[in-house]
Amino acid sequence: MSEQRLRIDTENVVHETVDGELIAIDLSGGSYYSLSGSGPAIWGLLLGSATEAEICEALALTHEGEPETIRSEVARLLEQLLESGLAVPGDRAGATRAPDALAEKVTFEPPKLERYTDMKDYFLLDPIHEVDTAGWPRPAA
Amino acid sequence: MGQAPAASARRDLAGEYFDQLSSRFELAARGRALTYGLEIGGLRFDLRFAGEAMRDVLLAPFEHLVVSDAPPAALSISAFDAASSGIEAPPPAWEAVEAVPGTNPAMRLRSERACVLAATGTGAVTAAEPAGGRAVFHLPDAAGISPIERAAPLREALQLLMAPRGRWMTHAGAVGRGGRGVLLVGRGGSGKSTLALSCALAGMEIVADDYVLLETDPPLAHAMQSTAKLTEDSAERLGLGRDAIDPAGFEPTLEGPAKALVDIRTRAPGRLKPRLEIAAIVAPHVPLERSSFVGPGQTKDERNSGLEPISAGEGLRALAPSTIIQSGFHGAAALGALGELVRQVPSYRLSLSPDPAANAGAVDELVSKLG
Repeated sequence: MSEQRLRIDTENVVHETVDGELIAIDLSGGSYYSLSGSGPAIWGLLLGSATEAEICEALALTHEGEPETIRSEVARLLEQLLESGLAVPGDRAGATRAPDALAEKVTFEPPKLERYTDMKDYFLLDPIHEVDTAGWPRPAA
Repeated sequence: MGQAPAASARRDLAGEYFDQLSSRFELAARGRALTYGLEIGGLRFDLRFAGEAMRDVLLAPFEHLVVSDAPPAALSISAFDAASSGIEAPPPAWEAVEAVPGTNPAMRLRSERACVLAATGTGAVTAAEPAGGRAVFHLPDAAGISPIERAAPLREALQLLMAPRGRWMTHAGAVGRGGRGVLLVGRGGSGKSTLALSCALAGMEIVADDYVLLETDPPLAHAMQSTAKLTEDSAERLGLGRDAIDPAGFEPTLEGPAKALVDIRTRAPGRLKPRLEIAAIVAPHVPLERSSFVGPGQTKDERNSGLEPISAGEGLRALAPSTIIQSGFHGAAALGALGELVRQVPSYRLSLSPDPAANAGAVDELVSKLG
């Protein structure tokens, strides 16, 4: 099990959940994502920073499912989030607090992350470059 | 106790730039100021010009929102150009990146008080003090205004002033009847503009084809500019003659064929409304296999427009990305507002038929059902 601590890159990624589907938009690259199943719950735990083990422990308090299935699905999603740039290495200072156990657990559903790149041309058309306080430009990414 | 030394030593470059640009506008407008009262997004605005040159290119798209006998406005946008006033924008506090042909990169300088956006491709500079409700817009030469600025005039200034007041600039059109309607959403090339214009030509009310100011409680789409963007092919299919198209045209874009500007006021007289209450979201979609829409016993030209409900998540995916990626200022808050909208109203996908009248009919039928 990976010991790496991860967190959502909230400086560059905005997100919103409707009807159990989380939509995330990467402002630094122009891609957007849909995350469903138990993915939004895992995303919530990554708004602080968390390790794979901490996420699995937290999910065990709120979700019903085979521990091994949960572990492998969490590992798979964390890898996808890291690879896509949606998650970045986190530190202990921002650690997520474990949720309270639920009286009635919800069924764990494998997370499904889908990536859409059809907006990338907008991003290329009007790129915005942030200027820092010294007056020199640096790319927003 | 004072602030930490690092914070107190930090200069507010954006605020300083806004102050300098405001002063230069006042200088440019001395003895030749022209002020128009507008109502945009239900808020009173003063649109101020330093002379006729900027007025002549920027006022027309907002003329339908001009109000008279109104109390003084708390919000203002002041516009001037260097060529007609002889007053240049202050020297940049940034080093501009080189624009790749066909793109319009912007340099953005932000502080708690102000925001400056300088477009490298068009030379346009917008500086705003959002909390104070003031923005200044500057062009090198009003006569040489770029098609980008003509298509969405004062977009950044309006966005910066409206967002803190709960009006979110949204990449969508809006059409309806009796003050109630639907938001037409989707990326460029999805058929939004053609559908919006088809609806207006079929007698429906229209707020815009491409950008609206959205309020969520209750859901309202407010008008901005009266111009629409159409490809020549779309204009032809809608039966709009060549004279409907603004001769200044529109440049080719990365998103598809070149688009030209059409003034909705003159093409669909009386249909342009300042706002519509939003009862649904419609995402037009050009099917990859148009032939799949030929129904039993139909010929190719009798294909139906297909309207089907989609989930709130799909609605948000159709609505949000192009708005948020283009807006660049208030990403998280704007996405939150769009999320609030899709939770309140149903979303639909409209598979477009090649027949614009059939598509408008499908939207009209939905509006009357939702009525």
